[in-house]
Amino acid sequence: MEDHIIQVENIRKSFTPPISYRNILKLNFRERPSVAALKDVSFCVPAGSLLGILGPNGAGKTTILKTIATLILPDKGRVTVNSKFLVGRDDEKIKSLIGLACGQERSFYWRLTGLQNLKFFAALYGLTKRQADSRLDYLLRLFDIDYADKRFDSYSSGMKQKLALVRALLHDPRVLLLDEPTKSLDITTAANLRDFIKKLVAEHGKTIIYTTHSTHEAQYLGGTFLIMDKGEIKADGRMEDLRKKINNPTATLEDIFLQLCRKK
Amino acid sequence: MPEKIIAFIKKDFLNEASYKLPFLLNFIAVFANILIYFFIDLLFGKKITPHLEAFGVHYFAYVLLGTAFFSYAGVGLGSFASRIQREQVEGTLESILSTPTKISTILSAIGLWNLIAATFDLIIYILLAIFVFKIDFSHVNPVSTLIILLLTITSFSGLGILSASFIIVLKRGNPIGWLVGATEGLLGGVYFPITVFPAWLQFLAGCLPITYAIQAIQLSVYKGYGVAALAKEITFLLLFSVILIPLGMTTFACALKKTKLQGTLGQY
Repeated sequence: MEDHIIQVENIRKSFTPPISYRNILKLNFRERPSVAALKDVSFCVPAGSLLGILGPNGAGKTTILKTIATLILPDKGRVTVNSKFLVGRDDEKIKSLIGLACGQERSFYWRLTGLQNLKFFAALYGLTKRQADSRLDYLLRLFDIDYADKRFDSYSSGMKQKLALVRALLHDPRVLLLDEPTKSLDITTAANLRDFIKKLVAEHGKTIIYTTHSTHEAQYLGGTFLIMDKGEIKADGRMEDLRKKINNPTATLEDIFLQLCRKK
Repeated sequence: MPEKIIAFIKKDFLNEASYKLPFLLNFIAVFANILIYFFIDLLFGKKITPHLEAFGVHYFAYVLLGTAFFSYAGVGLGSFASRIQREQVEGTLESILSTPTKISTILSAIGLWNLIAATFDLIIYILLAIFVFKIDFSHVNPVSTLIILLLTITSFSGLGILSASFIIVLKRGNPIGWLVGATEGLLGGVYFPITVFPAWLQFLAGCLPITYAIQAIQLSVYKGYGVAALAKEITFLLLFSVILIPLGMTTFACALKKTKLQGTLGQY
């Protein structure tokens, strides 16, 4: 039996928008239709595999990542990590196994240097000073970061993105959750990162779940795919499974994506 | 856990140290605050001083210690909420909560930094009181004063964590902080002794931790009262701490769960 490190079972998530001024003026406090972000989403991720989640804006990609990372609790269903840890119950243990790199820039202390930021988060991940120093030395060299001693607010978007990836890898997690990891990166850095992601899976046995808008990037990375639209899984599996789904044995990932998600 | 708390304190220090002006402005604000009461004392001090017989001081000395101590306690009350709000606004709350760090560790770390910052302010008050305004602190009982300081911080931290729970859900608007801040300043005997109040207001004042804290600190600093003489005030402060800290922690955990269910942890 395949060892599933992540199991997502029938999760549902709806978000209720904040009450509008128009409704307050009308004294209408009830009428707030919720928006379904995830509708009965289920999938499994084997240990040491690569899963790409694709979908248009608002498909629910980031919500899935944040749910696995314990930052969002599902309304229904359950997420199990490492076969025994449940999101909402064993969050501390799950967070030790997971590294999350979100696309947003506002997740660091802008008035501190990159290194000061990373050392702070290394301590929160439970690394000793010596462990943090050696890990940072390795990761900063790996990502070719020579600007870590400069203040975070002086970085470009790409530099910030690289630092977010380093932070996600600080505690050498078994699972990496990457939200649009190559967004804002220049062509060379993005290509290097893609190769690095493949290497992390192939040589280091990491499990990586990433979201992307680029079908070309996803096809290059390979592994399995989850195509989502409006909170639902439209298709999942390897390229051959997806091709079968649309009855086109030569289709590219972009063809499949457009066929499944393009508005008629 | 100590490493994580030290990391928080170091990070907060580096963050605060990156702003140069607030330190100077803070010093000026404290000085200006004291001056206000100095002139109020010149105008009305003689009228209020008879109410302060129990403490054996004139009005200026009373209000200076009261204000200094209230701002110390107020740090416990207000800064949990403001720090959580700041982490929300900076977007770092999600990053912190993505790490395997217990909520109690995060709150303790925030609390410790608040304590360090507040102690710094308190030192400014005391130095100004001694060297500029020549207030006599020679009767101070250091043991009881320290115990009261610690118990005040813990009981107010309980209230502070409670108010941070509102911030984490509502993002803005802190009803507990507003209510407690407004009533405690008025009723707690910070600016004048509660004996000037009618009986029903004195009863209300007796329900607030600051009333016991202010009374106890005035007596331990100016009259040198020891732990035994302040047993009633210390017991009440201990009781407030024992009730408010677990209540605050539990409420914060519930608020965090609600925010995760709403999916608004990263919003502000």
